[in-house]
Amino acid sequence: MSESVIGVSRPRVDAPDKVTGATHFAADGHVHGLLHARLVLSTEAHALLQRVERDAALAVPGVVAVLTADDLPLASAGSDRTTEPLARTEVVFAGQPVALVVAESEAAAEDAVEAVVVEYEPLPAVVDVEDAMLPGRALARVLEEDAGGGDLESIHAGVDKGQEDGEEEQLSGNVLDTVHRNAGDATALLETSDVVVSGTFRTPWVYQAYIEPQVATAWLEPNETLVVSTSTQGSFVTQRELARAFGLPLERIRVIAEPLGGAFGGKLALMEPLAAGAALALRRPVRVVLTRAEDFQATNPASAQVTHLKIGARKDGTLTAIAARMIVDRGSNAGWGVEGITSLLVAGPYRWEAHEIRGYGVQTNRFTFGAYRGPGAPTAAFALETLMDELAVELELDPLELRLQNAVVEDDVGVSGNPFPRMGAVEVLERIRTHPLWQSRDSLPDNEGVGLAAGYWPGGNEPAAAVCRVNQDGTMTVVTSAVDMSGVNTGFAAIAAETFGLSPDQVRVVAADTATGPYSGASGGSKVTYTVGKAVLKAAEAAREKLLAAASEELEIAPADLEVVDGVVRAVGAPDHSITVAEISGKALRFGGRYEPIEGHGGSAQTRGAPSVAAHLAHARVDRETGEITLLAHVIAQDVGRALNPALVEGQMRGGAAQGIGWALYEELVHDENGQLLTGSFLDYAIPLAERVPDIDTLIVEVPAPDGPFGAKGIGEAPVIAAAPAIANAVAAAVGIRLRELPMTAPRVWATLEESGA
Amino acid sequence: MEHVRPSTLDEALEGLAAPDAKALAGGQSLLPVMKLRIVRPSVLVDIGRLELGGVHMSENELRLGALTTWDELESAQELGRPALAALAECASGIGDLQVRNRGTLGGSLAHADPASDMPAVVLALGAQIVLRAASGERTVSAEEFFLGPFTTALGPAELITEVVFPLVEGSGSAYVKVEHPASGFALAGAAAVVRPDGGQSVALTGMGGQAFLLASDADPVDALPDAEIYGDRFAPVEYRRHLAGVVARRALDRARERMEGTDE
Repeated sequence: MSESVIGVSRPRVDAPDKVTGATHFAADGHVHGLLHARLVLSTEAHALLQRVERDAALAVPGVVAVLTADDLPLASAGSDRTTEPLARTEVVFAGQPVALVVAESEAAAEDAVEAVVVEYEPLPAVVDVEDAMLPGRALARVLEEDAGGGDLESIHAGVDKGQEDGEEEQLSGNVLDTVHRNAGDATALLETSDVVVSGTFRTPWVYQAYIEPQVATAWLEPNETLVVSTSTQGSFVTQRELARAFGLPLERIRVIAEPLGGAFGGKLALMEPLAAGAALALRRPVRVVLTRAEDFQATNPASAQVTHLKIGARKDGTLTAIAARMIVDRGSNAGWGVEGITSLLVAGPYRWEAHEIRGYGVQTNRFTFGAYRGPGAPTAAFALETLMDELAVELELDPLELRLQNAVVEDDVGVSGNPFPRMGAVEVLERIRTHPLWQSRDSLPDNEGVGLAAGYWPGGNEPAAAVCRVNQDGTMTVVTSAVDMSGVNTGFAAIAAETFGLSPDQVRVVAADTATGPYSGASGGSKVTYTVGKAVLKAAEAAREKLLAAASEELEIAPADLEVVDGVVRAVGAPDHSITVAEISGKALRFGGRYEPIEGHGGSAQTRGAPSVAAHLAHARVDRETGEITLLAHVIAQDVGRALNPALVEGQMRGGAAQGIGWALYEELVHDENGQLLTGSFLDYAIPLAERVPDIDTLIVEVPAPDGPFGAKGIGEAPVIAAAPAIANAVAAAVGIRLRELPMTAPRVWATLEESGA
Repeated sequence: MEHVRPSTLDEALEGLAAPDAKALAGGQSLLPVMKLRIVRPSVLVDIGRLELGGVHMSENELRLGALTTWDELESAQELGRPALAALAECASGIGDLQVRNRGTLGGSLAHADPASDMPAVVLALGAQIVLRAASGERTVSAEEFFLGPFTTALGPAELITEVVFPLVEGSGSAYVKVEHPASGFALAGAAAVVRPDGGQSVALTGMGGQAFLLASDADPVDALPDAEIYGDRFAPVEYRRHLAGVVARRALDRARERMEGTDE
């Protein structure tokens, strides 16, 4: 028998091209007659647009046009980034695109951007999200009504918003959405709990920091089809957004998702309306490429959040109730925010007898909110997991045992009101318990500590389809429209190979576009392997049925008595009676051939969630004199369902943990009181450089997802969630201080040490 | 903009005589500010091909060519001795490997970023900076060289050709900084030299408008009035003042350990 494909580490299928520079990214494509567009960004955080003076820019040699919102063939009013890609009359954040300079060369466009003069009538900038909520406060948007966020809201998790209720809190018009989740009498239960801990936690705007800045190219085919070649997480969602923006029928829009140079949630229909609008207006191909500085200012980072949290427990460690008030800074995003998901995830993977959780989505003049790996999750986990640690101290219980005692198991009802599916919260904590780092936590040198934290991601769902096609040479081509954001194509190859009976190197995975491919949603929400992977599995099964039907005729053996091993169909128990997949395919794919092409179509519509949970251990050393935190080691244990390819799973776990280290120690987009971005470059905005990320020990825990392909579940988002609180808890263990704000920079740590006298 | 690549020093100096001409060495400071359109030279005098490199050690002094890169400083065997250890230690903490392969000693000193590292080291080591103009050569001490943020004694048509460090046998030196996590520039950096006769020098960088030498008996924490310490959102004045004391003490301790041979 051939060895199983599933569970074996293999290199990514896209690795050789990427390593050798053969991959063509979205900015690399040659398009005849291409024009280059550069953005004129607002210098004001909040203002009325008075006038855009373009004559000087138009005089720059090579400049073709200077476009404003009125020049784009936009279909609807709306004030989201799709329907208002360039500000119409009101600018709502510094960095918002207000005009597009289009030229024959990038250099000409760049020169001309400087020559565009924009006149503004400044309005008060709303930058303090808590203040912005109060009745009577200045509004972050005074003129326009929102037209709704289209499809983008549901991509990352698709959670419910909790129940509506009639209680009226006095709030300003900046509060765009409120979420209320409650069950039981949390207030009363907290009053009678043996131990109660509380705190207010602040987290900043955080940039996705993908390697490849945002880019899109658009052109019109002679038949008036609008073609958009872009760096995006989703082709079909982009197609729908463009249809909404320009009032075009779907069939007139073809979106090609090019190989992605990183996205992490940030690449969903920001640049395409700009490139497409310019191409439609000028009837020439137009490419928009952001510089890094523009990408910092003009895109859609993760929102800042303030979380007021209180939790209680009985003396024996049983959790009683959780009360939270969570304020989410949406910036200019009127369409959607993370108040829904963060108010769900703040309860963590634990059982509560009562909860009272409120979430608020508040507009300000800071960016446009967008998704970033586990939207709303790291912020919630920082608050909850810090307090869980404090609770353990108050109760004089081991922090791991406290979590374990309260960890959810299948069918426990969460604050969503729904029972938890099978999820390995207990299993990952048990795995951590025996790790040498956890065992050594009480015998470390001075100023060192080990911290623990856990968090889960519910996982998303979206119907998807796939095609598995066997070629004349017996190899297989898997066709999906999923964007390979995290190695999913390599997983598809393994799923198809194992299901059909090929070796993985006989399987190619290609990404189709909206004109040619089976349906797939955007890559996000940790759902691609779980949903598209399931469709690939079914497509491979369908192809295998056709193969066996043909082989049965050839070999005169019933299909049930045949097996497929490494590209050979053979009789079970009599391997000499065999025929290769290539031979059968050769008989099908030819003039006068006698079999249907060996090709299968498969679809999935997952209805149950497959949440993934991860627990982190961080080992930190604090320099009491400078406040600097050094990470000495990091451990992550994650329930991944089934590791289709352990090397890739570990890569996701390490990458997530590294980005969590960024949340913990480095990353912070800061505005001044006028809404001007102060940390808009990598000279000011720190990310976790390789030299600052310690070795990350990955512990794969497999609690199979009943509906997942081979038990696999989405794993991309879970590993980022609880890294920051694990580090915060390590700092507390090292030097006895609790930071309530991320990132834990050296000056903040020092100041907190000074205040505490520790 | 014109780009010239002279092959002799005289040609370079001739090129620099043009109004708004700028010398380009490793390009690690000039190119970023040009990219941001903060500096727009009329002529870019690319001095990369001039013979201005090299580490030259004699009995009583070390001469470093202006085009010596950080990487060369970091890996030069001659700089292993305790008296000069601060040079390699400082160079190894600048930027990343790519920057250290291109960035030069002379370029950095001429740029005089108030948070750059090497000015503190040349001050503490008592270096002399050799400047060359078409009219001739002059030498200024490091103390005379730095005048303020991005401002030095270097004339518009002058080039740094080399930096000369006196060798004090038996001394020890060190450079310690706390860096900004994004830029890697010093929030506070201290270079220290300890001599067998009991004398010592400490220079600080990153604190204000320029690197400066502390008076020999000054406490770094008290040496500066608040108004002269740079404070920002990330690192307020109070924190920088505190850091100055920490890095100065650590640099002195390490320099002393090197002098006494008790370092690791």
